[in-house]
Amino acid sequence: MNVLPTGQQEPGDKANPAPARIGIGGPVGSGKTALIERLIPSLEARGLGVGVVTNDLVTREDAERLRDSGLIAPERVLAVETGACPHTAIREDPTMNLLAIDSLVASFPDLSVILLESGGDNLASTFSLDLVDYWLFVIDTAGGDDIPRKKGPGTVRSDLLVINKTDLAPLVGVNLKRMIEEARAVRGGKPVLTTNCATGDGIDAVVARLSHDVLFDD
Amino acid sequence: MTDPANDLVLLQHGDSFFPSGAVSFSWGLETLVEDGQIHSADSVSKFLVNQLRYRWATSDRVALAAAHGTGADLEAVIVIDQLVETQILAHELRDGSRRTGRALLSMHDKLGTPLARAFQDRIRAGDTPGHAAVAQGLVWRGVGLTLEQAELLSAHTYSIGVLGAAIRLGVIGHVDAQRILLGARETLVGILHETAPPVSEMSTFTPATEIAAMRHETAETRLFAN
Repeated sequence: MNVLPTGQQEPGDKANPAPARIGIGGPVGSGKTALIERLIPSLEARGLGVGVVTNDLVTREDAERLRDSGLIAPERVLAVETGACPHTAIREDPTMNLLAIDSLVASFPDLSVILLESGGDNLASTFSLDLVDYWLFVIDTAGGDDIPRKKGPGTVRSDLLVINKTDLAPLVGVNLKRMIEEARAVRGGKPVLTTNCATGDGIDAVVARLSHDVLFDD
Repeated sequence: MTDPANDLVLLQHGDSFFPSGAVSFSWGLETLVEDGQIHSADSVSKFLVNQLRYRWATSDRVALAAAHGTGADLEAVIVIDQLVETQILAHELRDGSRRTGRALLSMHDKLGTPLARAFQDRIRAGDTPGHAAVAQGLVWRGVGLTLEQAELLSAHTYSIGVLGAAIRLGVIGHVDAQRILLGARETLVGILHETAPPVSEMSTFTPATEIAAMRHETAETRLFAN
């Protein structure tokens, strides 16, 4: 197993490499938690130990949903309250998320990947480069096909853009092909993938991309 | 300005731009607002002044001063830290103090502040909890601030944290927050002119806030960690 070293790790410490930290951002309801529910079994099937940090906005809904999912040991899911500042907690002041990551690492030495879910936010949301090694942004067709054209920093700057709920596109009058083309156009060659997290369509491609770009286990 | 470099240190560490995790905490305010006990600028102002007088002045200030005064003696710092652990009744207030203390140490470790890493190592080893006031005394001394400056920073960062939470909870506006801060200044200056109690007399008396923080543990709605 070979994972990305982070700043927390001493050089040459191959015995206990620091887990790769992957941020998952995106607007409310786009499917961040659903994507994590799909990623956990796929990553574990590759022999990777997974931990999750959620940033619920008002309740512990997302953390509880994952803990109750049966997909992951409940104690491997930590929740960070963001004081109504989801942007701040992953960008200007990610210290509480870093503490949660430290706590997971201390409790579970087998961790290879930590998925860090942001609170549901708007298109300007980005992650601190000191918090994560790689981050993806999840939008969905039902949120409107004009989202890529709006060139929000989340859509443009993320390492990977995921367009979820592909099945809903025809029902909400969205031209998915054009939405993908416009997303590619604003991202300067960075990857865009489509998923339907309800069925699992497209998840393998997301895992393959993470594997190649950040987990280095492909 | 007598020493611009020192003034800039004070500004850097007293700014909400400095990553400290403060936005995650309301220190009992969220439940007091949820319960309708705090509902106006006037009640937020009373909350802040009472917290400064009956908690900060008698507990945080004392622990901070003790930690600031111990110099490089980490064992003495740990004794104070453990005393603070026994003084904070409500779980979420205790946990919030530990988490903000650790966040502060972690940032200062990355900035190379003396003793930040050594104290953090002791926390990671389970030797000591790492409470906020203690960490503040240690690292602010480390960046060259006097005790008086460290006390100002501690009271100020606490105050803006609480007022920021009150704005986000929707009970005050941004102008109210500045008025309340201005109004609390007299109380704070009065406290700072008094001699701090000795460590042996460290105490707090904020029962409504402690009960609110305990009830917050099981609250459905939680924007904040306490």
